[in-house]
Amino acid sequence: MRKLCLGEIEEDLILPFPEISAPEREMLDTVKTSLDQLFESHAADFAEWDRAGEFPESYLDELREFGLFSFVIPEEYGGMGFGSAAYSRALQQVAMYDASTAVTVGAHSSIGMRGLLLFGTEEQRAKYYPKLATGESIAAFCLTEPSSGSDAASIKTRAERQGDHWVLNGEKIWITNGGIADFFTVFAKTGGPEERRNLSAFIVTRDMPGVSVGPHEDKMGIRASSTTTVNFENVRVPAENLLGEEGKGFKIAMHILNSGRTGLGGGCVGGMKRLIALATKQANERVQFGKKISEFGLVKKKVGEMVIDCYAAESVVSMVAGFTDSGHKDYAIEAAISKVFSSEALWRTADEALQIAAGNGYMSEYPYERAMRDSRINRIFEGTNDILRLFIALSAMDDVGQNLKEIAQSVRGVFNDPIKGFGVLSDYALRRATLATGIRREHFQFTKLPEVLKAEQEVFESATRELAEATDRILRKHGKGIIGKQFASARLAEVMIHLFVFASVLSRVTSSIQKHGVNGAQREIQICRAFGFRVRRHMQIFLHEMEENADEDVKGLADHAFELERYQWDTI
Amino acid sequence: MKILVAVKRVADPDNANRIKVSSGGDAIDASGLEWKINPFDEYALEAALRLTENGASPKKREGEVVVVTMAPKEAETTLRSALATGADRAIRVEAGDDDLDGRVVAHALRKLVEEEKPDVVLMGKQTVDGDSNQVGQMLAELLDWPMATFAATLRQEQDGSLLVGREVDGGVLSLRVRPPCLVTVDLRIVSPEGVYSSLTDPSFKYNEGVRFAPLPAIMQAKRKPLTVRPLSELTDVALTTKYTKFELPAKRSAGVKVKDVAELVQKLTEEARVL
Repeated sequence: MRKLCLGEIEEDLILPFPEISAPEREMLDTVKTSLDQLFESHAADFAEWDRAGEFPESYLDELREFGLFSFVIPEEYGGMGFGSAAYSRALQQVAMYDASTAVTVGAHSSIGMRGLLLFGTEEQRAKYYPKLATGESIAAFCLTEPSSGSDAASIKTRAERQGDHWVLNGEKIWITNGGIADFFTVFAKTGGPEERRNLSAFIVTRDMPGVSVGPHEDKMGIRASSTTTVNFENVRVPAENLLGEEGKGFKIAMHILNSGRTGLGGGCVGGMKRLIALATKQANERVQFGKKISEFGLVKKKVGEMVIDCYAAESVVSMVAGFTDSGHKDYAIEAAISKVFSSEALWRTADEALQIAAGNGYMSEYPYERAMRDSRINRIFEGTNDILRLFIALSAMDDVGQNLKEIAQSVRGVFNDPIKGFGVLSDYALRRATLATGIRREHFQFTKLPEVLKAEQEVFESATRELAEATDRILRKHGKGIIGKQFASARLAEVMIHLFVFASVLSRVTSSIQKHGVNGAQREIQICRAFGFRVRRHMQIFLHEMEENADEDVKGLADHAFELERYQWDTI
Repeated sequence: MKILVAVKRVADPDNANRIKVSSGGDAIDASGLEWKINPFDEYALEAALRLTENGASPKKREGEVVVVTMAPKEAETTLRSALATGADRAIRVEAGDDDLDGRVVAHALRKLVEEEKPDVVLMGKQTVDGDSNQVGQMLAELLDWPMATFAATLRQEQDGSLLVGREVDGGVLSLRVRPPCLVTVDLRIVSPEGVYSSLTDPSFKYNEGVRFAPLPAIMQAKRKPLTVRPLSELTDVALTTKYTKFELPAKRSAGVKVKDVAELVQKLTEEARVL
């Protein structure tokens, strides 16, 4: 999908839409019924635990006994052996009832123990899986430190090799499950002098002397989930607890986060489904001016957009889960897109659901304000959406840059090796011509979309061409300096996000048309059409603002405010 | 004790408003319907589990619970769910809804009962789709077994007989039946004090409703035996119920509010013409 910025559409990657296998679907059906029964029995408790700011131990025991910590652990070790798609769907069901529970379960399965799943040795797995499956051990992911959030490479926790042990020292903050975990995936710096140190990952358990956790943090949302600091003071970690290769910790951390994104995405979709159910019911019951408010256009607009957002988020999360499950390696950009889009779609949905309920929505007696508080964290944790936007844009531009470099080099080499140089040049020239003229050839258009989606297909194809042209222009203008041009990068990211989500929607609707016919898929076709308009809107803004914008003014005002550290004006 | 529980999957009653009738009115259009176990059968399964355990240690099964259904392959999800909540074994009789009516089902079950030789057959008092309320009674007759219908409570006595409480007009009717016997259950059977096996302490109280399957049990259920039998092996009786036409109930039109009794009487007289 990163080739979008080169104007290429990887149709084989996007079609057909990934589906959960029949046996897994059958099992999920049973799991869903059981989860519904488990959580319905606590429906009245969640609000109370939110106010109390923690779960009672008896509830955590219930979750353990129910097997909620076993989702992704292989069957032979007592787990459910869920792949990404099934896991994401199961977590969605949890999030439909309670975000704190979803985060507790998600922090365990999505990131806490995912390092063991991805990089663990046979011995490590045999040792820890059984307890992790029963929830006797709950897992936590320890990367963030007081002075290093998004800048993960700057962590200060240090692990020094002493004989057959590592000695760990450092402090981790905002660790989800910190207070209830026994199994910690910890990142620390290893190696020689300061500037040459790299990150490494370790398995640390609560029973190792020197491991301690701070008090339960008082948070805005997901209040019943446990968040604490975790301290390591001269913790002696056996050498065999190194996770993956020494010095490869940064890659390991990124891989864990990528792989766990569909869990977070599933949680967001679950939250949205619940909010849509609440908001539609509310709008059907509330009468103003002698009419149900669901009859008013502006309420319809809110609910319609919620449905589009939810379908789009569900599609992109499923698409990324499909990539993971099919063994596709390079899906970091797509995973990031799914996280950014689904977390923001949930936020919009929570905001609009609360707006529909209005006064009631603002009251704690109703579920909306809690849903909103609970939703907010998704745009922050597991990589802030701002950092992910830059990551999305810069990774894609890197590809285009490589391409340009090839041109630059081949132009230089033209005199030495004219044939080779000509080959590259003509390829590039052809690509340019294609982009400029819109004349189609392979990889520049879809070939398998149904006729009824023709208009949407064209929106996608022309947006892709425009994106490629624009990327090219941005890079020619800024060169390496693009790294510092965050305004431009974020705009580019916005278009990429919407295009990939649109690709997922197109793919899903195509599958639905194949299964249910055009009539059976009528509503989904409407979603596709509406999303196509969103893509065009973002594209127009992007293209316009790339040429004309107030970036320098905005930056100047920010710098001015930073200097004063306050707002300057007043009316008295 | 060995118990055979007969279950049926039905269109989810919570989504009953999605039911459509085919254009000719000769069948119900089942597309798009969600299926779930008939609620009364789900209660029967819960009752069977309670009868074969000590309520304080529900993971240990004392005896055997076999669930049986007659349906296409999709219904195996329903059977797997039953296995996950604690049943030991499942049988699916391959049959479509059009192959079955109460009499055919009762005859097929008779053959299965003769093969399986359970001490007790349990099932819901009726299914919530056809609502015919026939199979239990017909089966007991075919087997010539004692029967208790609409059970609201069940107590297993030390000698193995079952004391069945049936809610009837004006009170509770108690019947003592000695296995082998057949019991159909009503909804109150799953109340905290609905069912006691001879092992369960009389002071023990169950959670209200049916139990749910924890995830490890769902995994184990995948390995529990599920056998498939053709209907023709069990019975050759023909359908006796013939459906001539289906139609949806007429849409209810919105009501009106009346100012006072006088207006009500006037409307009842002039518009409704019932006075």
